[in-house]
Amino acid sequence: MTAVFTDTYYLMLRALRETIRQPALEIGNVFIPIFFFAVTVGAIGSSAARAFGVDNYTGFQMPIAVLQGVAGAAGVAGIATVTDIERGYFDKLLLTPAPRISLALGRLAADVVRICILSAFIVFVGLLFGSGMETGVLGIVVLVVMAGAFGLAYSGIGMALALKTGSAQAAQLGFLIFFPLLFLSPAFAPKEYFAPWLEFLATINPVTYIVEGMRSLVLEGWDAAAIAKAFGAIFGMGVLTMSLVLWGLRGRTA
Amino acid sequence: MAAIFAQGLAKHFTPEIKAVDGIDLAIEPGQIFGFLGANGSGKTTTVRMLTTLLRPTAGRAEVSGLDVENHAGQVRASIGVALQEAGLDDIQTGRELLTLSARLYRVPSSQMKARVDELLRIVDLEESADRALKTYSGGMQRRLDLAAALVHRPTVVFLDEPTTGLDPISRDAIWRYVGELNRTEGVTFFLTTQYLEEADRLADEVAIMAAGKIVAQGSPAELKASIGTDVVSLRIGSDEDLTRASDAVRRFEGIEDVRVVDDAVICYVRDGSSAIAALVLLLDGANIRPREVTLSQPTLDDVFLRKTGHHMEADAAADAKVRKSS
Ligand SMILES: Nc1ncnc2c1ncn2[C@@H]1O[C@H](COP(=O)(O)OP(=O)(O)O)[C@@H](O)[C@H]1O
Ligand SMILES: [Mg+2]
Repeated sequence: MTAVFTDTYYLMLRALRETIRQPALEIGNVFIPIFFFAVTVGAIGSSAARAFGVDNYTGFQMPIAVLQGVAGAAGVAGIATVTDIERGYFDKLLLTPAPRISLALGRLAADVVRICILSAFIVFVGLLFGSGMETGVLGIVVLVVMAGAFGLAYSGIGMALALKTGSAQAAQLGFLIFFPLLFLSPAFAPKEYFAPWLEFLATINPVTYIVEGMRSLVLEGWDAAAIAKAFGAIFGMGVLTMSLVLWGLRGRTA
Repeated sequence: MAAIFAQGLAKHFTPEIKAVDGIDLAIEPGQIFGFLGANGSGKTTTVRMLTTLLRPTAGRAEVSGLDVENHAGQVRASIGVALQEAGLDDIQTGRELLTLSARLYRVPSSQMKARVDELLRIVDLEESADRALKTYSGGMQRRLDLAAALVHRPTVVFLDEPTTGLDPISRDAIWRYVGELNRTEGVTFFLTTQYLEEADRLADEVAIMAAGKIVAQGSPAELKASIGTDVVSLRIGSDEDLTRASDAVRRFEGIEDVRVVDDAVICYVRDGSSAIAALVLLLDGANIRPREVTLSQPTLDDVFLRKTGHHMEADAAADAKVRKSS
């Protein structure tokens, strides 16, 4: 059992080394969410209070920027695994006594670390823009943990597809799943203002509860129910995607 | 107990693709075993089954007495493997890759650095140890890959075409490391190659694969002796003469076997030097003038030829051509 942790740790360090040595690959992941954050607040911020009763639209949008960051950064594990498979390095790892699950978890853990750092940075930019943070420093920690946990669940999709298909296109397809989910949540306005069909979709969309949980931390203060719902949604998605990862892993091993 | 054992081992990817079609192996500890065969004959598939990467469709195999399917984890801990494609990554340095391998193979932390340094020295990569792998040449990557297969001092090592595509100097270096480890630490090596002459020189025992089956097995000397003859090769100018020439030489009393390969008639005869004159006379009687006559001792290629009816190297070249054009 300890082998799962230690081998995951060493494989995570290897994956993070790749990121550190190719920092340019992260520029888009940092820049794009902040850009959309800025233009959305710039376009809608001043009319948000009148239109749908949101006084602090910067704080309202900050979690969306974080989740966009997560979505951009979460695909690396899957794509990098495809590269390892194509180059034959994955076989080399399969030949070691390392627990099979560590081969997936090492890269997923590296994604979580990257995502936590990126999320903390986006929160910091949000604070500079004037988002505020009702729950203070501890709230920031909880928000970043939420982002990391969601990142793990989300990276699992790309990882499962990578393991199952060995194809980069398939692993990238994982992304396409997210964008509809993000915008089927109350990304721009509270869902009470949505058309009924969209409100219904938002209600059954797990991402909605993550958005609302994060928003509660920024705008309202400690709301145990909202936080529990967010972690519940993340846990549900995580169980699903990690099962897919195990299924993909089984196909790779004799 | 055999270091490597297989019985009826088979892998049929589909009912038509019988990559490995029932092979038996019993390789003694401490041997260098050469697994020979042209491209596509099933060498890699065999290695992948013996090293737990691929599940056999039939038969069974053991490494160091451990069943490769039921004790895959223990097998993996006891073997070292360098696959056909070096399969490294671009970004790590040589030292980092070896250190990661050493950690995953559970080399104790206290010995880690010394072991990595030792391996870098063995494969002559000390100077490039801290460079990114993308700057390594093909030969350097193969050497590092070999070192990575050795971090945990395995007793059985599998090398799949470790020398294919390497220049002669790098090729010699690989064989030097193999020979040294075999002599000093008694490591058993299972290595595949398309180079018959290489296996002849360096392997204690060889098996020749063709189309998923072992067609000959034994020490190189035994296999060559099994032919029991000299080889006289007669190169003929035109195709129609080729058939007539092979008919003509068959009339020679001391002839054991005749094969037509490319533009040559290959005659297996007991006493080559005295047979040459008679063979040329028989051709002369049929009005055929050979372009070249050579007398040689049998090689492993002759063994291959006797068993399969074609040359191995020519086969590999043809296969490469097919691959390129398809
Ligand atoms: N994954 C696979 N699926 C289907 N056919 C395969 C697969 N791997 C190998 N083969 C086929 O099995 C045969 C043996 O291949 P291989 O073991 O790689 O030969 P070698 O290593 O001797 O060149 C070839 O015909 C090859 O095309
Ligand atoms: Mg091969």
